Amino acid sequence: MTNFEFDWSAVFQAIPALVKGAELTVIITFGGLFFGFIIGVTAGWIKLAGNIVFRAIANIYIEAIRGTPFIVQVMFLYFGVPLAMGFRIPPLVAAIIALSLNAGAYIAEIVRGAIQSIDRGQTEAGRSIGLTVPQTMSYVIWPQAFRRMLPALGNQFIISLKDTSILVVIGVGELTRTGQEVIAYNFRAFEVWFAVAVIYFVMTFSVSQIIKYMERR
Amino acid sequence: MIEITDLHKAYGELEVLKGIDVCIKAGEVVSVIGPSGSGKSTFLRCINQLEEATSGRIVVNGQDLCARTTNINLVRAEIGMVFQSFNLFPHLSVLENVTLGPRKVRRMPVKTANEVARRVLEKVGLSGKINAFPSQLSGGQQQRVAIARSLALSPKAILFDEPTSALDPELVGEVLAVMRDLANEGMTMVVVTHEMSFAREVADRVIFMDGGHIVEDGPPKDVFRAPKSPRLKEFLRHVVHH
Repeated sequence: MTNFEFDWSAVFQAIPALVKGAELTVIITFGGLFFGFIIGVTAGWIKLAGNIVFRAIANIYIEAIRGTPFIVQVMFLYFGVPLAMGFRIPPLVAAIIALSLNAGAYIAEIVRGAIQSIDRGQTEAGRSIGLTVPQTMSYVIWPQAFRRMLPALGNQFIISLKDTSILVVIGVGELTRTGQEVIAYNFRAFEVWFAVAVIYFVMTFSVSQIIKYMERR
Repeated sequence: MIEITDLHKAYGELEVLKGIDVCIKAGEVVSVIGPSGSGKSTFLRCINQLEEATSGRIVVNGQDLCARTTNINLVRAEIGMVFQSFNLFPHLSVLENVTLGPRKVRRMPVKTANEVARRVLEKVGLSGKINAFPSQLSGGQQQRVAIARSLALSPKAILFDEPTSALDPELVGEVLAVMRDLANEGMTMVVVTHEMSFAREVADRVIFMDGGHIVEDGPPKDVFRAPKSPRLKEFLRHVVHH
């Protein structure tokens, strides 16, 4: 046995810094999912209704993202792309772009699947009362499809939130990065990583509870 | 009111309609009967362009449905459609199901649309269910809401695609009663049905389809009592025994 003792004071001292880091995690997650949702709805819609060229582009995008690790996408965007383009991207901006592109590919499949799962009879009923195609989409199909997307979107939210920890590789001061920095001067790895884990859990658990509540309504 | 000339419809190699000519007058109640696969539902769905005809002419109220200048959405609002599987909007209440068309297609203010909805829902006997959702209703009630949804647009004609086939036997009567009332008020109706009693008692005219053709077309007493073609005789023998 070691004579290890859990040092609560290390946790309490770390909390203000960790909360700051968690705030950045939340900002990146919301930013990434906001744009990721826009990208996802667009790409999912193109896969359903676009012409062959746009469909091919959407497919390449989705497959490329799903087939490569997020950490590689992040490093490519932050370290690789600037060399080709000749300008640097600030880390926070790169973080949000990377997360948007990543989440967008998964959300595209969620959107496509949900829209496809709505019975054809719904479209026919909408069209038969004289609604145009866009009206049928927005008043009949989308509200039903969105409800079906919720569990999967909630899941994606949680995955993306946890994926932000990978952004340590480009030095964005989110929660995981902050944890590393705190440990670098107090050496209390057990306490700090434990606190970091708890904070992640509180965030993901809140999201899953909110989604559960929305599903019930 | 509905004039169809040489209507053909094919899915790839499979020809479902092989030249349909029919003229339906305003106020007429037409029952379309025939074995499954005879093309009767496809025929009905061509009338409001849920299926695009391969060739032929469909003229509704003097408007050629295939012409570029025709706004198909406005034509569809003039021809109601009632489906076998009801197809109510499950995320909307009964009232919202009925008012969606008037509000979005006719651009009626909400208040007027609600008044219209109350009137048509009363007509189908569902005034008490205005705030219910489709999942809380029986099949017969859902189908009556679907009829009300069509009526709310004051259509010139209503197409019924096997409206009672998905219903439990004890719920068929309430839907047929509503349809009978509409027929008595002079609504133009085209009804694809397996309900021979409806065809016999309510329809002004019965069309028998088989193999993508109209085989017989006449008043119910002629079609049912004195069938000319062997295929209709065969069909009637089968349905009567079931």
